[in-house]
Amino acid sequence: MPSLGLPIFGQTPAGGTPAPRWRSLAERDGRVDPEAGTYPDGEQPPPEGFSRRSFLQILGASTALAGLAACKPPREQVVSYVKRPASVTPSVASHYASAVSRGGYAVGVVVESHEGRPTKMEGNPGHPASLGGAGLHELATILDLYDPNRLAGVRRHGQPVAWSSFLGELSVLAAAHAKDGGARLRVLAEPTSSPTQADLRSRLLVRFPRARIDSWGPIADDAARAGTTLAFGRPLDPEYRLAGADVVLSLDADFLATEGDHLRQAREFARRRGQPAGMNRLYVAEASFTVTGGVADHRLRMRASEVLGFGRAVAAALAGHHGLPQLGPLGAPLTGDRNRQATAVAADLARARGRGLVLAGRRQPAALHALVAALNEALGNAGATVVYREPALLDPASGPDRLELLASELRAGLVDTLVITAWDPVYTAPADLDLAALLGKVPNVVYLTSRDDETARAANVVVAEAHPLERWGDLRGRDGTASIVQPLISPLVECVSELDLLAAFVDQGQLGAFRLVREGWMARAGDAGAGGSRASDAGAGGSRASDAGFDRAWSEWLAAGVVTGRGAAPTTPVKTVLATGRVAAALKAVPPVRAGLEAVFAPDDKLLDGRYAENAWLQELPHPVSKLTWDNAASLSPATAARLGVKTGSVVTLTLRGRSLDAPVLVQPGHADDSVTLPLGYGRTVAGPAGTGVGFSAYALRASAAPWIDAGLELKPTGRKHALAQTQEHFSMEGRSIALSYDVAELPKAVHELEEQRGPQPSLLPLVDYGKEEYRWGMAIDLGKCIGCGACTLACQAENNIPVVGKEQVLTSREMHWLRVDRYYEGSEADPETISQPLACVHCEQAPCEYVCPVNATVHSDEGLNEMVYNRCVGTRYCSNNCAYKVRRFNYLDYHGTVAPQLKMLQNPDVTVRARGVMEKCSYCVHRIEHARIDARVAGVKIGGDAVVSACQQACPAEAIVFGNLNDPASRVARLQQGERRYDLLHELGTRPRTAYLARLRNPNGELV
Amino acid sequence: MSAKPAIAIAIDPLEPVPVLVGRPDDRALTEALVKPLYAPTTRGWKLLVTALAAGMAFWLLSLATTLVVGIGAWGNNIPVAWAFDITTFVWWIGIGHAGTLISAILLLFQQKWRTSINRFAEAMTLFAVAMAGVYPIIHLGRPWFFWWLMPYPATLGLWPNFKSALPWDVFAISTYATVSFLFWFMGLIPDLATLRDTAPTRLKRTIYGLFAFGWRGSARHWQHYRIGYLLMAGLGTPLVVSVHTIVSFDFAISQLPGWHTTIFPPYFVAGAIFSGFAMVLTLMIPARKILGIEHVITMKHLDNMAKVILATGMMVTYGYAMEHFMAWYGGNKYEAFAFLNRWTGPYAPIWYMQLVCNVLAPQVLWFPSMRRNLVVLFAVSILVNIGMWAERFVIIAVSLHRDFIPASWGMYTPTWVDWGLLFGSMCTFGLLFLLFLRFLPVVPIAEVKELRRELDHHDARVAGLAGHGEGTP
Repeated sequence: MPSLGLPIFGQTPAGGTPAPRWRSLAERDGRVDPEAGTYPDGEQPPPEGFSRRSFLQILGASTALAGLAACKPPREQVVSYVKRPASVTPSVASHYASAVSRGGYAVGVVVESHEGRPTKMEGNPGHPASLGGAGLHELATILDLYDPNRLAGVRRHGQPVAWSSFLGELSVLAAAHAKDGGARLRVLAEPTSSPTQADLRSRLLVRFPRARIDSWGPIADDAARAGTTLAFGRPLDPEYRLAGADVVLSLDADFLATEGDHLRQAREFARRRGQPAGMNRLYVAEASFTVTGGVADHRLRMRASEVLGFGRAVAAALAGHHGLPQLGPLGAPLTGDRNRQATAVAADLARARGRGLVLAGRRQPAALHALVAALNEALGNAGATVVYREPALLDPASGPDRLELLASELRAGLVDTLVITAWDPVYTAPADLDLAALLGKVPNVVYLTSRDDETARAANVVVAEAHPLERWGDLRGRDGTASIVQPLISPLVECVSELDLLAAFVDQGQLGAFRLVREGWMARAGDAGAGGSRASDAGAGGSRASDAGFDRAWSEWLAAGVVTGRGAAPTTPVKTVLATGRVAAALKAVPPVRAGLEAVFAPDDKLLDGRYAENAWLQELPHPVSKLTWDNAASLSPATAARLGVKTGSVVTLTLRGRSLDAPVLVQPGHADDSVTLPLGYGRTVAGPAGTGVGFSAYALRASAAPWIDAGLELKPTGRKHALAQTQEHFSMEGRSIALSYDVAELPKAVHELEEQRGPQPSLLPLVDYGKEEYRWGMAIDLGKCIGCGACTLACQAENNIPVVGKEQVLTSREMHWLRVDRYYEGSEADPETISQPLACVHCEQAPCEYVCPVNATVHSDEGLNEMVYNRCVGTRYCSNNCAYKVRRFNYLDYHGTVAPQLKMLQNPDVTVRARGVMEKCSYCVHRIEHARIDARVAGVKIGGDAVVSACQQACPAEAIVFGNLNDPASRVARLQQGERRYDLLHELGTRPRTAYLARLRNPNGELV
Repeated sequence: MSAKPAIAIAIDPLEPVPVLVGRPDDRALTEALVKPLYAPTTRGWKLLVTALAAGMAFWLLSLATTLVVGIGAWGNNIPVAWAFDITTFVWWIGIGHAGTLISAILLLFQQKWRTSINRFAEAMTLFAVAMAGVYPIIHLGRPWFFWWLMPYPATLGLWPNFKSALPWDVFAISTYATVSFLFWFMGLIPDLATLRDTAPTRLKRTIYGLFAFGWRGSARHWQHYRIGYLLMAGLGTPLVVSVHTIVSFDFAISQLPGWHTTIFPPYFVAGAIFSGFAMVLTLMIPARKILGIEHVITMKHLDNMAKVILATGMMVTYGYAMEHFMAWYGGNKYEAFAFLNRWTGPYAPIWYMQLVCNVLAPQVLWFPSMRRNLVVLFAVSILVNIGMWAERFVIIAVSLHRDFIPASWGMYTPTWVDWGLLFGSMCTFGLLFLLFLRFLPVVPIAEVKELRRELDHHDARVAGLAGHGEGTP
């Protein structure tokens, strides 16, 4: 491999030109040309540090993967994330910024790379959709990179075809289609906001003016855009600014976990929670129990089809009592208790004009979205807590309507070539379209996918898709912020990106995504007057003097993860004019609510639309609400379950619109009565060993006419049982003081109660005074901020090489997550309040586990960490028996031994992989402490009080977890642990835990209590 | 029994049932007691050995599975990290208590009735301890490192953690096993010499002779032997109390509700004797019949053991009551819940079984007629064995499955390997016992002869007191 001489680990160039690199004095003085001919071709240059790519090549050649032809020579340059110090020291991780797509929008990520192996994805603090937090999918995506079941190369009817010859075939095919302007060519694309793809599409449409590109996303926000079309005359994306919202009414919007910029929204929301001052208030009207519903101050349990009526009742109350007559035509009062609730919510919203916010969920009809737009306009929230932007997506409409149109063309035999880059439409398409059969009618179906799936079985040609960490690309956030997607690793298998495939139709398949992206951005920058002309030859290392400015900007963009400059900055919010009449007409056109069971389709918190079905981390992650793993289940309320005579685990036959399937039931306290939630994303028939046959496919019941809420569901018990693997079986606190919560008004009274739950306990034993140590590590977990999403659990799993154990082992209560999120219900079973409590080892100063270990395998450090010495552990498990928190995890089986070699590349080299028969548990990310210690020693300073960030803390979108040095009075954790809400879990045992909890505060509306 | 009793037997009004029926002479005793060792094996014996060997094979398969697959082959989990493994361990260790109690403490208290049954009980102890000793090793996640629990001068300067009860367990059990073996073997030496002298084949003579250590029965031998035997008894006596006390520390020093209680040491020792005597009865009732030694191991022995069972059963019952009282009186809500959970939780049937077996069943032994009814005695002994296993399961697994944080609660379901280790260990124990019955005298011949002479003296004294004035030899 030729020496690239690239600033791989480098910072943004400081001056006009990058600092020259040289290997010898002779080279520096120009006596040797460093680039050319130093070594004959094929000769390896001496290692100069360890470039990620060369490491990869060596690795690729020396593993069983060699046969997978992993080593495509890199042509492009990658620039490191600047906020991390540059270093080529092995064992010191580098960080690179990139972006991943969520529904087509960018979420900025920072990827940790150890000597060329990406090992962890974190949120990018500089990206507006992340702000540093990471969601489940950002964290879990990296597992897919190393999936041994990924497809490789191009296959026609299962026979491998070389990419180069396939390009030639595509060229011929494209030329044939170009003759009639592409009339019989269709593309079904994944929703995307990529500016490069926008360019590519326009070029495609120039060559094939009669072709059409449709987007298909099974969980798209089409209704929301249709709603803004009703309200404002064109599709717009609302952007919710929760920082300024005092009163939030969510109409079936799970905005903290699955909808919108949920990471940013969760952070903004959580910043207004916790401390009593400035608390917001959240009302959630919903049927299914969601993460957002779990943190609501008032969760208004209602059928999903009744949410619209509730919204109209709020509008009526605002119109009637609060001087907003413009809402009069939109409102319609309800009766009884529901109307009382609507009135109270309306009064609260009216009091917070300009400081309130109403949101509607993606599964609600367009009319409700329009109503919500009208409510926000009337309340003066528009422009303050909600702004509207032009959708950054290339196809704002990617719902069933577009797919139906395509299906009708397929049915009519109007399509010869269908290029599918949308994820698995055969599986996700509404059942009435029967897409699998229609694909059989198309002569050429070219499908781009990373894994074998249902659509791949129906396609003629399957092209392996590159993982986001293997390919170049670009994406925009919802606010228009552009990010460059940069690869972290040479493709592990032969694969291409969507850009490569589409470019082949304009005969640019050989160009490579990198040049497409870079040249596109060069053109955009050039248009902005940066002075560079469009350089067609600006490939890797291209350094024409006129492009030097662009090169620097490019490096900066890559390093920051966000593109700056014109064409890249956030779009400005648009001015909106409300068309009340249209909204009123739409509301009137909504059919009345039908009695009987309703079916509510919901993207799964973990698998979303099913694309993560092969991700074992997500399969095993306990569902944030039900704590279910490795399955989905039809959730219904305890009352409905009792009426139908079913229990959790009963298998029932669900019938909707003449289609039926069998599914297990999960009785979900707090679910709306007469409503059944059917999570999408399971029941895959072709999804590798992890995903095949797990759960049931709710898509089989989903009709394109009613993709989200459908009436007339029938449910019949079959008498069979299905074992559901839940990691938590008891959801009651049994009257114990475990996860504490108080109404904000009660706090002064509760302070006394909290004081009893903290402070020293009498002890017969002499206590170690850790106050004298330099460092006393500790953690504070704010239950008021925690939304219970489970990102901490997953971040911990990724960070600490925690194995996946499978459903059978979860059923035996052997899940290995070091950090679990406990969830408790309080109040009635029908309509409980919930509280989530992340719980990992609390690092007791008087640790019960330590004195019972016969071999001193778990001991205390000077700094107070409760440490596990894996290689000393013989596995008596006595420590776990004596652990009051039951946070220790035992390797009952050799969970790591069965891991594919490829997956071992994912493991964090800083964390020991545990053997069979060894106990393990949260280490407070001791390896991060040690890295910080090394850095501090090198710098000759003390480790900062907040300098060490635990993996769970780093991921937490809500900033609920804070780690640091308790002996530094200025550290955040020390200040939080001094706070009035602090309490120690199981304080009466005298274990003196280092992890303290901050009691949750609720902010209920007095009128509704 | 060829010889008729030479002397009329005086009936002690306080002890109507004799500890030796008749007064067989030395020759008759020897013949009666060594006969089973030389008699050809019976069909029944072979069948039983085959069945038990099959059970042992299952045990070995379960052990191999445990070692190869890991203890994930069991049903243990988090929170129930100890279940069948430690339950069965404590059960076997408890059973192993009867031997030393009978051998050592009853010897020191000069209880005549111990003589005929001590060998039997000691052998049972030995095999029970052997079965128990397997568990602390195989229950480890990494059993090949079991020796890390022992204090040895490691080059790293690492010692076991003496604050933990588990290294003390190692000391207690290994000491107990060693002393039990030595005590048993020492008691065997005179009888091994008898076997050497009576064995029909040269091979048997050689083997028995090898283990008889040159015993010739001289007065000097007997003098040393008696001193040594008493010393061993003195050594063994504290072990009766210490072993199960230390085993109870495995639980008592923890902070788990249901484990963390100071009553455990005496309660565990009582329970151990309770179960040990029950196991002796279980084995002895059929064995004395089959071996034809009902005149040596008489109803008197069974009656006495039944009384011990009744007494220790009452102590155990007191322990249960006191645990519940403390759970209520202590005001610890976790402990109160742990005990309520025994009555109402998902494992309540096992708790009720424990109560029926350990509290109710022994109550029939208040009635002398029941104590002398072999069927009732056998049934009670079986129930007590089951009940004591259930008790350990309730203490260990049921306490663990629901402790402090409800979100961490779980359930435990045993796998076939768990059952295999339990029933397989019983079969192995039974097989060892059958081999013992086949190759070694089940009743200490020398001691019974001695007993006969003591009884002769006693008879004479009683007769003398009655005014007959008959002399004694």
